[in-house]
Amino acid sequence: MQCLHCDLSEQGHRVRLGEGEGEKQMAICTGCSLLCEDIVASFENGSLKHAKNLCRRGHGHFQAALTERTRPLIDGEQVAVDKAIERAAEILKSAKRPLLYGWSHCTQQAQFAGMALAEKLGTTAEVTLDGASSFCEGILMERILAGKISTCTLDDVRNYADTSIFWGSDPSSSHPRHLSRFSYYPRGEKRQRSYEEERTCIAVDVRRSPTAQLCSNYYFRLQSGGDAQFMEAVLAVLDGKIPKVADKKKMIELATILKKTEWGAIFPGPGLIYSLQDKMDLFEQLLARLNEITSFKVVPMLADCNARGFNELLFEKTGHAGSVSIQGGSAAYSAEHSVLAAAKKCDAVLAVGSDPLADLPIGTARALARQPIIAIDPRRSLTTDAAKVVIPSALTGLEAGGTAVRMDGVKINFEPIMKSELLTDEQILVRIMEAI
Amino acid sequence: MAEIEVALVAVRDIFQDEAGRKSLFSEEYRILSALITLDKQDMAGLAVKDGDKLLVKSEAGSIVVAARASKDDAKEAHPGLAFMCISPWYSQLVPDDGCERISVEATLAPTTASVTAIAEIQARMKS
Repeated sequence: MQCLHCDLSEQGHRVRLGEGEGEKQMAICTGCSLLCEDIVASFENGSLKHAKNLCRRGHGHFQAALTERTRPLIDGEQVAVDKAIERAAEILKSAKRPLLYGWSHCTQQAQFAGMALAEKLGTTAEVTLDGASSFCEGILMERILAGKISTCTLDDVRNYADTSIFWGSDPSSSHPRHLSRFSYYPRGEKRQRSYEEERTCIAVDVRRSPTAQLCSNYYFRLQSGGDAQFMEAVLAVLDGKIPKVADKKKMIELATILKKTEWGAIFPGPGLIYSLQDKMDLFEQLLARLNEITSFKVVPMLADCNARGFNELLFEKTGHAGSVSIQGGSAAYSAEHSVLAAAKKCDAVLAVGSDPLADLPIGTARALARQPIIAIDPRRSLTTDAAKVVIPSALTGLEAGGTAVRMDGVKINFEPIMKSELLTDEQILVRIMEAI
Repeated sequence: MAEIEVALVAVRDIFQDEAGRKSLFSEEYRILSALITLDKQDMAGLAVKDGDKLLVKSEAGSIVVAARASKDDAKEAHPGLAFMCISPWYSQLVPDDGCERISVEATLAPTTASVTAIAEIQARMKS
């Protein structure tokens, strides 16, 4: 189907660019991994003049372009960007165990440049390359990329899904347009009667989240960490056994919905993935059972705009979606190479497309803060405040063009909608590499 | 003084997220992040009302946040289960093993101390 807003190509959607500043332009929102490509926006005189189709999260993301921008700094003193890049190269060159962390807000082009930098540094050092999703969604992504778990695109969900299950995820808060663009409200090719008659939306969560409130009668409340137990109960009832749960009637009702489903999709979030951890086989078992009865696909609710792109890049190189070490020209995976372990032994940190000091556990953040940090970031963060070197970059999607991979694996190409003198993440990484 | 143990679960909130995108250092973001949502029974057990301060302690660290009663009705009561948004405040309570990021065991007690400021969190990084 031809997209109304862009030229569809084999490589993905490409948004047409407007004709200059102040004019309304089609834009991609890089505020989350839905990468909504129907945004109309214009900036004028340093403010967001017009915005259409942005969700609240996206609106915050677009407004962020105008506030708390970083400046090139070394030890808190403003310098020329060339000096900051030069100093970053010196730090990385002299490091024996550098950690290159983040990447989920970067374009694929920047991620490729990051991999090339890691490989170059890896000729003389032990480099750890990791991202925020490696110990959460990455666990599931790995199984999807390995073909162990059946997946689909969000366009398939819009066109065919009659049952959507939000398990440990809350798109109304994390991906606000998920339900309206794909999973519940839209009229798809085979779902013209949509949410009024044809679509059922189910929430499985520890709290009555905003999404669970929309699912009304189909909210299944879990005990904290009770996902595996709930899964076993679903498997039991699908096999005609009496489930070991308090509300047996409701569980049987769920099984009936699942059995009647023509085309279902499960959207697992951090709640499910953290809860299962080493019991992910149980999830595969449930999917296998469901697919004996009908068709169920899985699309993980990756948070950041290009988290999937980074997972795919690492998987292609190593067969794993995160926690990679590169040394002597070869890449290897191990939990020992996760940011949590690497923070305690690294001697330099390159943080790009992330704010590890805000996001990571306090012990890890504190360990990172003891090392010289090079922060490539368009905006002020806890990490830039603690960094030895700050290199300002163009905002992905607004000031920097490139490619990102949507949560379902569809590549989205975009061009900048704001003029900027700032270097892109990719350009900065290439220049650091050249300086090394 | 009353003290209770809870499973503290990290959640997302669209308003807190938007505030953080505008500025991690804003008062708006602090108010929405340094906030713990408790069941009404737990609020009563601690003898606190909306806006009162609580000292939240886990094996990883401690913070002071404001308390808020859950809007869930009696049917959805969740004593022993509390919620906080993912933020630098929540990160102060997360142990380093990486497997417990979405939920931590925490102890809550009323306090007269001020809500932890972002500057204090930044100072902890350097300690």
